[in-house]
Amino acid sequence: MGSDFDRIMDALDIETFIVCRDEAEGAEIMGRIMGEMGLRDIDIVFCQHLGPGARVRARGYIFRAGERYGWLKEEAGS
Amino acid sequence: MKPLKVVLAPLDPVHDIGLKIIRQGLEQAGHETRLFPPDYSPQEIVRGIIEEGADVVLISRTLGYGVEEILAKFVDLVDGAGIRDRVKLGVGGMAIRPELAAELGFDAGFGPGTTVEAAVAFVEGREFIPAKKGSQKEKYGILGGATYAWRDSTIKARLDEIAEQIIAWAEKHGSPGIARARLRQEIIRRELLGENVEDLKREYAGLCSPVIADSYRNGAIHPETRRLEQWELDSLGEYVERTQGRMAPISLRSSLAKPGVFAQYGTGCPFMDIAHIKVAEAWGADGVVHFDPSWGARTEGFMEGYLTHRQDGSVITPQNLAAIKKALLPSTLWQVRAHRGLNTPETVVLAAHTGADLTKVSICYGALGAGTDPARLTVDGVESMKLAARHGLPFDVVTNEELCGVPAYKAFAGMLIGANLALHLGAKPILQPLFCYSPEVMLSGAMEDNYVDFNAAKILALRQIVDAPIWPGAPIGFLTQTEERVQSSVSTGLHAALAASLGVEAISIATSDEAYSGGPIAAASRIDTLRAVKENFRFFGRARIEPTPRAREWADEMADRIGAVLDEVANIGDFVQALYRGALGTREEGAYPGRTGQGTVTEAT
Repeated sequence: MGSDFDRIMDALDIETFIVCRDEAEGAEIMGRIMGEMGLRDIDIVFCQHLGPGARVRARGYIFRAGERYGWLKEEAGS
Repeated sequence: MKPLKVVLAPLDPVHDIGLKIIRQGLEQAGHETRLFPPDYSPQEIVRGIIEEGADVVLISRTLGYGVEEILAKFVDLVDGAGIRDRVKLGVGGMAIRPELAAELGFDAGFGPGTTVEAAVAFVEGREFIPAKKGSQKEKYGILGGATYAWRDSTIKARLDEIAEQIIAWAEKHGSPGIARARLRQEIIRRELLGENVEDLKREYAGLCSPVIADSYRNGAIHPETRRLEQWELDSLGEYVERTQGRMAPISLRSSLAKPGVFAQYGTGCPFMDIAHIKVAEAWGADGVVHFDPSWGARTEGFMEGYLTHRQDGSVITPQNLAAIKKALLPSTLWQVRAHRGLNTPETVVLAAHTGADLTKVSICYGALGAGTDPARLTVDGVESMKLAARHGLPFDVVTNEELCGVPAYKAFAGMLIGANLALHLGAKPILQPLFCYSPEVMLSGAMEDNYVDFNAAKILALRQIVDAPIWPGAPIGFLTQTEERVQSSVSTGLHAALAASLGVEAISIATSDEAYSGGPIAAASRIDTLRAVKENFRFFGRARIEPTPRAREWADEMADRIGAVLDEVANIGDFVQALYRGALGTREEGAYPGRTGQGTVTEAT
């Protein structure tokens, strides 16, 4: 049986607020957090910095279209 | 059954509306109820239960903080009073989950979204079986009651002149696309009879671009694609079967009968498409729209087999379409777009034979904004409309050239030419103006104050010309959305509300990923906008968004200018030449007559 990540249809989005100086730092920190979570195919979908920090939404693709999707058979076998 | 005594007690300083609603349901079911005020302490509630001789007690607790301690204390008091064995206890509220309720000693717990029917069933000791709404969902009637009556006789006369000229010209011409469409029909017919079609496929390959021809001659497939493997095909069948078994789609509309809501898909992979379609269906989409890759429009012919690739747009093959069709709910409208490239007539054939409900044929956009040669798309477009009419397949005519910078009135003139041509050929066209923040309005400032007036003007202008179904797209709110998902969803939802307010037949909506270009659209982003649309429909109901008087002024102006454009096209006397000469959009405005397929139009045999 594969990982629970195989049940994610396509992407895992994480949205949070990061205390930081500017947008670039917010995006950089978020990128590192995604990496620490083991996500590899990552991108910052949205990042807006105002005042105390940045509202960030990051995405880690688990399956892109055209790949071999774990959920196609994973649920049946679980 | 014997009426029961039910005590309803809000263990909450303020909120008791949920209990009041349930109380109505219990009384309608013949039970005796007693609703305690919101400020009773747990001790007072227990005393009340004893005094009333209650059979069942329903507690509500809306506020989440400290909920476990308070409820545990209440159950302890009931135990301590020695009445726990003869009283059934239920608890409901925003923070309540069945597991928590059981842990605290309640007989049942009701979280958000609990229905009155579920609460009554608990009181009566029955198992609650929710109605499967999806099984009752019917296919949405997109054509509405449109009569196709023309309200502007001057415009109608011009359109008729143009249609007759186009039909007469098309009769004298052909194309490889038309030849392939006819071959495809013959292939389908003979395959249904179980006959060998190898000779037809050889002939077909001779009419294709080299990359497609190779797939027939030596099995090579387009470099952007891969064949899906057998385990994937087997697993897809199981996945669809499992998913269908638990589908109970919600409806997006509350009190309104329209518009129908379409979600667009085209992830690149037919299997991911199916996965996204099931999400869209579950969250209330009435229809789905198949997007093919842009290279598909520039390539002669279709490959065969189950093919996937990692770019936008899903490859059209007979097998891919059949797999998608098989996965759809019976109530889902399915549009397979044919409109802009070299495979337009054959797409209509495949769409019709696979069981699509709708297609799309847009001569002006395809020729001025999508890169296809005007002559080629005109002759192919006429054939496509004839095929659509023969197969009873309505189609929309879109004005995407607005996105290139062509003013709406010129794009609408082109759309009306397409629609009237379709009517001459016996088809059922649907007008698809854009609800978008187009280059035209960016320059003119027509949307500086609001997004309502100019979009409303478009619908008003079209309505004063013809009574035809209108399906704004595609997607609504195009270029108003940002990468921020709340903004993106709100914008889509409000455009949907405007469309509903204007009484149009359908809308196509984006996902909240509409403005995100860093990767594929995620399934969860589809839900964002479907929920936003549902909430807007619920908010406005039958109430209307009121445009300012500018909308009417712009509509009148637009109708006048549409008439002037049609005069010019009619006076040129040659529709294809009119496209080249910029009558329906100039190069300065952003309309460039396409070159794909140039020189492929043949004399009709």
